[in-house]
Amino acid sequence: MKRESIGELEELVLLTVGALLDEAYAVAILDELHKQANRLVDVTAIHSVLRRLEKKGLVGSEMKGATQERGGRRKRYFMLTQAGRQVLEESMAVRMELYQKLPKLTFSPS
Amino acid sequence: MEQNPTSGHPPRWATRLLEWYCDPYLLEDLQGDLYELYYRTITKKSKARANWQYAWLVLRSFRWSAIKKNNPLKNNFIMFSGQHFKVAARVLWRDKFNTILNTVGLSIGIVCFVLLGLYVTQEVTFDHFHSKKDRIYRAWLLEDYGEGKVFFNSNTPVRFEDLFEENFPEFEEVVQYHVRNFPVSRHEQGVISEPVAIISPEFFKVFDFDLIHGNVTKPLAGRYDLIISRAYAEKYFGDEDPIGKTLQLQLNENTTPFTITAVLDNIPQSSSIKFDLAISNVLNRELLGERSLTAWMMVGPETYALVKEEASIESVNAKSQDVVMSYLGEEMNRDEYNIGFQPLTDIHLNPDIPVGIAPVSNPVYVYVLAVIGFLVLLIACINYTTLSIGQSIKRAHEVGMRKVLGAAKRSLMMQYLSESVLVAIVSMGIGGVLAVFLIPTFNRLTGVDLVYLFEWWHLGVFLALGLAIGLLAGIYPAVILTSTKVMTIMRSASGSRGKHWVRKVMVTFQFVITVLLISSALIMQKQIRFLQDKDLGYQYEAFVSVPMFSSAESGRMAERIASARANAELLKTSIEAHPQVSNVTMASHTFGTPGWAELSFTDDKGIFRTFSMLAVDAAYLSAFDMKIVEGRDFEKGSGLDERQSILLNETAVDYFGLENPIGKTLPGNDFGEHRIIGVVKDFHFSSLHQEIEPLVITQNVQPMFRGVSDVGMKDSMIPKLLFKFTGSQLSEVQEILTEAWESTFPNRNLEYAFIDDNVARQYENEARLNKLIAVATVISILIAAIGLLGLTVLVVNSREKEIGIRKVIGASPFQIFHLLARTFSWQLGLGVALSIPLTVWLMRQWLQDFAYRISIGADMFLLSSLIALVVALMVIGYQAWKAALVNPVKSLRTE
Repeated sequence: MKRESIGELEELVLLTVGALLDEAYAVAILDELHKQANRLVDVTAIHSVLRRLEKKGLVGSEMKGATQERGGRRKRYFMLTQAGRQVLEESMAVRMELYQKLPKLTFSPS
Repeated sequence: MEQNPTSGHPPRWATRLLEWYCDPYLLEDLQGDLYELYYRTITKKSKARANWQYAWLVLRSFRWSAIKKNNPLKNNFIMFSGQHFKVAARVLWRDKFNTILNTVGLSIGIVCFVLLGLYVTQEVTFDHFHSKKDRIYRAWLLEDYGEGKVFFNSNTPVRFEDLFEENFPEFEEVVQYHVRNFPVSRHEQGVISEPVAIISPEFFKVFDFDLIHGNVTKPLAGRYDLIISRAYAEKYFGDEDPIGKTLQLQLNENTTPFTITAVLDNIPQSSSIKFDLAISNVLNRELLGERSLTAWMMVGPETYALVKEEASIESVNAKSQDVVMSYLGEEMNRDEYNIGFQPLTDIHLNPDIPVGIAPVSNPVYVYVLAVIGFLVLLIACINYTTLSIGQSIKRAHEVGMRKVLGAAKRSLMMQYLSESVLVAIVSMGIGGVLAVFLIPTFNRLTGVDLVYLFEWWHLGVFLALGLAIGLLAGIYPAVILTSTKVMTIMRSASGSRGKHWVRKVMVTFQFVITVLLISSALIMQKQIRFLQDKDLGYQYEAFVSVPMFSSAESGRMAERIASARANAELLKTSIEAHPQVSNVTMASHTFGTPGWAELSFTDDKGIFRTFSMLAVDAAYLSAFDMKIVEGRDFEKGSGLDERQSILLNETAVDYFGLENPIGKTLPGNDFGEHRIIGVVKDFHFSSLHQEIEPLVITQNVQPMFRGVSDVGMKDSMIPKLLFKFTGSQLSEVQEILTEAWESTFPNRNLEYAFIDDNVARQYENEARLNKLIAVATVISILIAAIGLLGLTVLVVNSREKEIGIRKVIGASPFQIFHLLARTFSWQLGLGVALSIPLTVWLMRQWLQDFAYRISIGADMFLLSSLIALVVALMVIGYQAWKAALVNPVKSLRTE
């Protein structure tokens, strides 16, 4: 299988989906991104990213939980798929590996 | 009051837009999220902010991945773009000859369409520039006293302004507009008679005429205030600032200085109300006399009413008769005196309401021109269609190959449509620009006043029009090309032979329209020439008319006529000496000027009679070489004739039922002393649209005026001096007249006109229509020729080998020409045959407008068929000649 490469925002969203467990729907992801990464992202951008991720098979989705404040509409909850999990792990591994190679000195103030 | 935060809805349009484009699979969640954010913003910020945010997010969500799969956007839009146009451009580039023919043909058609379209638009949107146009009405007055005593006017009594304001609360404003000629000068020198509008001071609250300078809010506050147009400000004051300056207007015996308070921007061409100088109608008493202010029967100004926004004209119409009866109930019966209203925008093209001050157009001509514009465009589209169908043989293989490779029918159609749309849009660009540049030529050629101001939205219209034309012209070939079966195409090169009848029908239709236009133009030309050459019963060539003036502008009509007559005598003695001047006479009206005085009375049998009257001097009949059929002419120097003798025309004798009229009087009781001394042979004193009407010729108007109850005159009765100029140089007229005039009336400006010009001008409208149709005819011939050229080339190409073989066997060039000509001859024949009944029918309608008309002869059709035939044969002949010249070796060697 061809390995999917993912962008920075995609990776962040994918991570958030994983982190939110059962609560991952677009608005929650938006809030979480704001809280954790201090990133103000347009909700339409989140939707767009989620659609891309779903198409690549990195997340799956399910409709449930209608509430009053949504005009009786259900939410689409996302969850990591096996492939998504793997992509995340690989990318984290790459980062960690590269990070380990950084000379520690660079960070200490002289 | 604080609103419940979760109440309220996001903007509905945004929701609807989202639902329209969004993939249903994604819609619920997306919409839910947007709602959630919407209510969150409502609670945190404000509703306005939330609405704004919601709309923004909906627009931002408009992404490729979110659009519905079967949404029209996702199909047509994309299919139609890029790729197809690229391929189309390549195909068109490859076949340059056809592309050029198509583009040129369409462009010419579009030029014609755009020019006629602009003209028609201008006519139809006449007076539409007023922002309150839908609420402005013009009053009319219809008096009907039975027995044919009907007076219908859109000029109204002066008292209507007050009458309406007092009785119709539905009106926000009522204003009057009147035009009269006054002698105008700046320093009491070089006096020119200028038309001056007399308007209500509130006039500018109703109409959107721009006051650009001076007192723009209350321009006519003072009694002797004057508004001047920009053009006239330049004419009288050059670069000086006209505000506060004065112009002298001679209202009565004395000249009065008027102070200019405001400058008016020049009034647009498409306005019924036009003036360059305007004064206030508070002067009505001085200008029109005490009596006219309260009269019910004397009409003068036009009355315009602005209806309040919440009111309607119907409620005014419903009670107008009651209001009339409350004033006139004792003197009149119900429904004898009727007041009605017509919308401002209706004035220019409504032939049912009589003409007021503003000139009007004939609506039929406007519609005819609109239809012709469309027809010419249709011919151009048909050209494209027939040529493309012809091409289909060539392209059948391409289509077959595409189909074999799996192209869907829909996408193939899009391919062909994008070709035609490309051609149409390019042609639209060329044609549109060309049309705009040709406007001055068009105006000069046809005598219309077309003004075009570019606005950006026109580009959109042009583009849309190009798209429409492209689709119209391309849809049929696209359908044919794509619906043929693959196997038939691939098996034989002949392609779709069965479809050729459509092409033939189209070519025939083209011929029908072309021949129709040619014959119509010819017939109209014949009628107009007939009108201009018809013996009118008098000699009027080289006659010059000089309007005189009376030294007193006010006073009784008879006194003013007498004063002007004395002036005419003065001028007469000073020009008579010239050897090139002969037949000097004077008359109250001249030929070619409508609106001669019409007098009405009830005769001794109780019948209501109307006749025209002409006041002349004793030399009149001999000057114009008119024939006396009974009795005698006026005797020069006879005081009796000057006082009481009258002449009748033959029609008048019949009309009054007189036998042996000589020595008798008119059958009315109140006329002054008069006696009929002779009968003049009928002559056409009005235009040939009308029958000859009863006419009384007199030297003294008093006895006639005394006996009549109604007088109508559109043309002034102030005498005109008339003489024949026998010199060869027309410019000498100017010299002779100027010299005589300046020595006699040094303070006045000279005006004069040639009677033949005026007579010809009566048929100006018809001549203009004829010219417009002639332009359209030339264009349609051109387009049809281009189409024929394309088709012939096609036929020649497809029969190249056949022609080569025929030549080898020994066919002469003429035989080859015959071979090609035969292809189109029966279509041409059928076209001519079909166009004849159509033309006869149309032209009969048109000729109804004339009391004197030609018969539609076969000669016109022969001529037009000949023209069509010659053009067709020339086009075909040229191709045949080229094909015949080609060395057969060349055409036979290539495989």
